[in-house]
Amino acid sequence: MATDRQPGRRSHMIGRVFIYGSLLGLAAFYLMPLWVMVATSLKSLDEIYAGSFIGVPEKVTFEAWVKAWGTACIGTKCDGLKPYFVNSLVMVIPAVVLSSGIGAINGYVLTKWRFKGANVVFGLLLFGCFLPFQAVLLPMAQILGWLGLAGTIPGLVLVHTVYGIAFTTLFFRNYFVTIPDELTKAAQIDGAGFFRIFFSIMLPAALPIIVVSCIWQFTQIWNDFLFGVSFTAGDSSPVTVALNNIVNVTMGRKQYNVDMASAMIAAIPTLVVYVVAGRYFVRGLTAGAVKG
Amino acid sequence: MDGLPGPRVPADRTEILANGHGDQMRKHRSFKALLTAQLPKLVLSPSLIAVFVGVYLFICWTAAISFSSSKMVPKFDFVGLEQYVRLWSTPRWITAVENLFVFTMLFLAITIALGLFIAILLDQRVRAEGVLRAIYLYPMALSFIVTGTAWKWILNPSLGVQKVVNDLGWQGFVFDWITRPEFAIYCVVIAAVWQSTGFAMAIFLAGLRGIDNSIIKAAQIEGAGMARIYLSIIVPMLRPAFLSVIVLLSYISIKSFDLVLALTNAGPGSATEMPSTFMFSATFRRNQMGVGAASAMMMLMTVAAIIIPYLYSELKEDRDGH
Amino acid sequence: MAKITKILMAAAMILPLANIAHAEGKVEGIHHWVSESEVGALKVLTGSLSTKGFTWEDSAVGGLSGANATQALRTRLAAGNPPATMQFLGYEGIEWAGEGVLRPLNDLYAANGWEAAIAPAILPFVKAGDTYFSVPINMHRQNWVWVNKAIFDQHGITEPKSWDELIAAGKKLKEAGVTPIALSDESWQILEVFEAILTDQNGTDFYKKAVIDLDEAALSGPEMIKAFDTLRDVRGLIDDGFTGRDWAVATGMVASGEAAMQIMGDWAKGEFLAKGMKPGVDFLCFPTPAATPNYKFVIDAFGTFVNEDAEINAGQDAWVATVMDPENQKNFNLIKGSIPARTDVSVDDFDDCAKRSFADREAAVAAGTMVGGLTEGFAAQPQYAGVFFDVVGQFFVTDMSSQDAVQMLVDGINNAR
Repeated sequence: MATDRQPGRRSHMIGRVFIYGSLLGLAAFYLMPLWVMVATSLKSLDEIYAGSFIGVPEKVTFEAWVKAWGTACIGTKCDGLKPYFVNSLVMVIPAVVLSSGIGAINGYVLTKWRFKGANVVFGLLLFGCFLPFQAVLLPMAQILGWLGLAGTIPGLVLVHTVYGIAFTTLFFRNYFVTIPDELTKAAQIDGAGFFRIFFSIMLPAALPIIVVSCIWQFTQIWNDFLFGVSFTAGDSSPVTVALNNIVNVTMGRKQYNVDMASAMIAAIPTLVVYVVAGRYFVRGLTAGAVKG
Repeated sequence: MDGLPGPRVPADRTEILANGHGDQMRKHRSFKALLTAQLPKLVLSPSLIAVFVGVYLFICWTAAISFSSSKMVPKFDFVGLEQYVRLWSTPRWITAVENLFVFTMLFLAITIALGLFIAILLDQRVRAEGVLRAIYLYPMALSFIVTGTAWKWILNPSLGVQKVVNDLGWQGFVFDWITRPEFAIYCVVIAAVWQSTGFAMAIFLAGLRGIDNSIIKAAQIEGAGMARIYLSIIVPMLRPAFLSVIVLLSYISIKSFDLVLALTNAGPGSATEMPSTFMFSATFRRNQMGVGAASAMMMLMTVAAIIIPYLYSELKEDRDGH
Repeated sequence: MAKITKILMAAAMILPLANIAHAEGKVEGIHHWVSESEVGALKVLTGSLSTKGFTWEDSAVGGLSGANATQALRTRLAAGNPPATMQFLGYEGIEWAGEGVLRPLNDLYAANGWEAAIAPAILPFVKAGDTYFSVPINMHRQNWVWVNKAIFDQHGITEPKSWDELIAAGKKLKEAGVTPIALSDESWQILEVFEAILTDQNGTDFYKKAVIDLDEAALSGPEMIKAFDTLRDVRGLIDDGFTGRDWAVATGMVASGEAAMQIMGDWAKGEFLAKGMKPGVDFLCFPTPAATPNYKFVIDAFGTFVNEDAEINAGQDAWVATVMDPENQKNFNLIKGSIPARTDVSVDDFDDCAKRSFADREAAVAAGTMVGGLTEGFAAQPQYAGVFFDVVGQFFVTDMSSQDAVQMLVDGINNAR
């Protein structure tokens, strides 16, 4: 929607200066915590205790990163973040795929296969987005126990899928609403069945919103701590639980550089997803998730 | 195609609709039709069951507990409104509710204003738009367990911004909000705005990009200035985006649990207590599960009061409109 | 047995065995020890356990002073998937024993004569009625004063014998430009100071009446107001950068000479030792000044959860024996900085501060002045302790008057009854 400018050169210049100035100033604000974290993780512990937290490292060292990944102690296990990082991956990927897939089918049904009360159903599903999760910890734990999934990664996948459905259905439904009904009706007449239409027509057209849904779900689930700490134990914990243990060390000399390095390691997957796929996120939102 | 042996291929679509097949086919087709008719509902049912249990059943569970005398473990007896009375006589809860209002108002207003501002700026054919966009968006990717410590240092007067500015020469500069009970909540606002602006910006940017250029050109031809165009034409056309942003930011605000715990642990004192942290500490730290459940029900009712009208208006439009 | 417990136990029993920590010689434990020294001490125990043929499976959950671990435990119990053992602080163990989910340990206690080896004052926290449900590994003391000796010498200050003397010494230091006390705005750190004041000024009988029995007259009386007044004096003796300060950072301030004193439990000792400082030479340690000496204890105890699996029970028995082994108690506490829960462990290898702790404990046991620490959950139950936290924390960071604080305290306690 970028507009053309007719005004004189001077106000144009001031305009550009203002724009760039504001953007850069704001960028500094947004980058500041990242700087603090990265700078601290690259300093040696002595330097941190001697000086401030915000300055540039005198001598850049990666020992904190190495320690965080492979040898930091989480409780009595001193294998670093690596095993928990793997746990998170093993947990997040199925959860994202499942919740997005189910959301896609739900969105498809709710928009192309109208039945009486479809909107009510959608409203009911949507309300799940707004549930305070602390309230469901105990009853969910009971259910997981009955299902025999307590303390396991599949159990955590199930929990995240259930609570992800609300959001993914919202995304897909709002997107599929913009796909003309004529397309699917025509396919129906040509003899295509329910699933055929889904896989051959809806999904290929839904690429932008699939990306949005996956990015959102990935971030939410990867960064989750509450469910992770409640529904897993010991070896099956995700990386956020391990990170919490590392940064919550209350005794002894707090290893700030290892804390920050651990935080960075835990943050890298979501950062990568956002930086790499960020433009698809905006594109996906443009393509229809935003409309009403 | 006419007259050839083999399966009769319909000449056009209407023929299928008009003609039936034989009786056998009719039976087969009616079962298939039945299945097809029910298939959508069948496909939806796992989600419905999951949400029914995971959301609505658990809400009932919480409601039951809020009417019980549960302390450390759930007990399903009935004590009427006792826990609610207790809840509202607890000063910390009142503080939490006040904080929620203050926080939500400020958080929504600032994030929307800032997000819209950045989106408009970025839309001006700026170089390195991709890089800048990534810079504003990345905070959303991080969890507060990750950034909480960094923010605590930045806001701490003897370690962070105040110290840096003082060292640079401005001795009189004071920025110790996080230490003052009356101002600590604003620090929570700052950190929350930092995390969510990118998201609002992305939605607004998408909305801006969806606006037709011709409308703008027409207004320009009529002699309207840029500011006027923005205020009277563009911003109103972003209404759907505003609604989405408000809903999503409200969701983030009510959920703000990690953020408060990591940044201030509801302190100093209980100055930054929020309903979500109150509920957690009542249930898990203070052995007052009944009170915790009552607070959760209050949170739910507030959310319902806001969301249900919004949903109703949205879905009603859709039924007619689409 | 409460109905919900029956449901929990039934749930636990019908679960396929594959999901209960199917032992094969494993003992799984939840605890919140995540720091190096804490973990080092724990390894003494886990190492000893392995010599009995069982391996330790660690489910550490740090943060929020054990609140995260408590939450994890509750959800696991709700899921019918309890660990083999859990580290209990305060009333946690008693509450679970009340729900009937802990294994009784009477046989082991009787066979090994453990009852005689622990101080009577801690019995209520390991025994519910007639049933033993947990074993204590250590004993911390909450109310130590840690002092930078050089600063005291420089200003001619000696160990104060009363709170008035301590405040006076603080004021003298403040005038000389030294930060008298290193503190934080965290409620628990402030409450530690407050309850020390309360007990030291009024004796352990008053403390019991006010804090454990929650007697309204005691809670609203002049002693309480005086305690808040004294806390207000303390507030005047700390530096401005105290918000969000970690307790270990405050200890560091004393160690480096930035501050003169810190009032903190004996876990602070490790900070000085790690810097190579010696008690009596570089730093001083003494209990907060009291007219009648008292001993405020904090213990870590391990309880075991009911489980059908005989293998797990065997592991639990082995773990319990490991925890109470005198040699283990000694080695564990040498690293952790506390003293053994057993009173019959020899004092010899411990440093001077610990030796003083031993002596003070013996005296307190004899005089009946041993009480549990409120801040760490060994006095008032959590819902009431919470009120103390709130009031004291708020009092400290605002200009609240002592009268208002007392009123808020009384109202809060009544609301929670």
